[in-house]
Amino acid sequence: MSKDGSVGFLTTRLDTIVNWGRKNAIWPLPFGTSCCGIEMMATLCSDYDMSRFGAEVVRFSPRQSDLLIVAGIINLKMAPVLKTVYDQMSDPKFVMSFGACASSGGIFNVYSVLQGIDTMIPVDVYVPGCPPAPEGVLHALLRLQDMVAKGETHSQRALAAKRNSGKVLRTTSL
Amino acid sequence: MDVRKPIATNGGYWLPKFGDLWKTQIEALKAQFGKAIEEVRMPPDYPTDVPIVYVRKDEIVPVLNYLKTDSKMDYGFLADLTATDEQKEPRFEVVYNLFSHSSLCRIRVKVRVADGDEVPTAISVWEGANWAEREVYDMFGVKFRGHPDLRRILMDIRWVGHPLRKDYPLKGYQVFADAEPVDPTLLD
Repeated sequence: MSKDGSVGFLTTRLDTIVNWGRKNAIWPLPFGTSCCGIEMMATLCSDYDMSRFGAEVVRFSPRQSDLLIVAGIINLKMAPVLKTVYDQMSDPKFVMSFGACASSGGIFNVYSVLQGIDTMIPVDVYVPGCPPAPEGVLHALLRLQDMVAKGETHSQRALAAKRNSGKVLRTTSL
Repeated sequence: MDVRKPIATNGGYWLPKFGDLWKTQIEALKAQFGKAIEEVRMPPDYPTDVPIVYVRKDEIVPVLNYLKTDSKMDYGFLADLTATDEQKEPRFEVVYNLFSHSSLCRIRVKVRVADGDEVPTAISVWEGANWAEREVYDMFGVKFRGHPDLRRILMDIRWVGHPLRKDYPLKGYQVFADAEPVDPTLLD
């Protein structure tokens, strides 16, 4: 570091700097199906302001987003749609299960409701509550950022496993 | 419970407001259709908010048509069409909830149906009965004779069984990993 405080150069590992970029620019895809969606909107709006953590660019296309926020009840007819949306997202992708219904089916333990989205797709963070408070969502986002930085999310682990198996030559997953 | 006591409803106590009107209407209905009216359950003799008229299955369309078009009745609005599983013979009751915009009162018409029997469709009286009858078919498996398009409306077309039947298990999940296939009959 030079005398005026500006950083001339800095040494790091490629994985670390890439994950640092990923964790501070998470683009969420809002999959709001019921009242949890309203809380999600509140979290994105100015009072709680999710953009403080670099996650304000809400994308409605799965191909442009990293984080799938499943906010609300997923019934059995919606489940294949959710699976398709998840499959269309490009790696690495993260999933936040927002609220009781998405995490476990909530109070709807009946024939028509999926009992937790983790029966369908891998979930990285769960937010408890019915619906969760915005503070809880921000906490989950920060927790997810920690996981992304350490490469602990499901999709990063799967990529690393693929890399270590020798099938992929590249040393990092750009 | 005292069945003579009027039952509070969303619109307050309906009996003092509509009791006399209901009586004349039921009499006119009985005079018009005679044996087609199986049974009438009137408040306050029966604990109900509005009169329940049980109609023979085959006469239901003329009765509904009369209730809709006759100037004494004028029940122009089919508020709901649903069914119940009674777990006895005959198994199902198809329920028609009617509302009159001119006198602001309601009436309930029911048809008893055995499992596997067909009810004549009410589409000729109310176009909107189309989707309601599809829903009844989807949830209970009650078939409607003369319905032009009796398919499932809410559940996946691969679903087995009818979820609102009492013998359907509450947690009878049928999870499909891939999306619902398009019905080939709907394609151009």
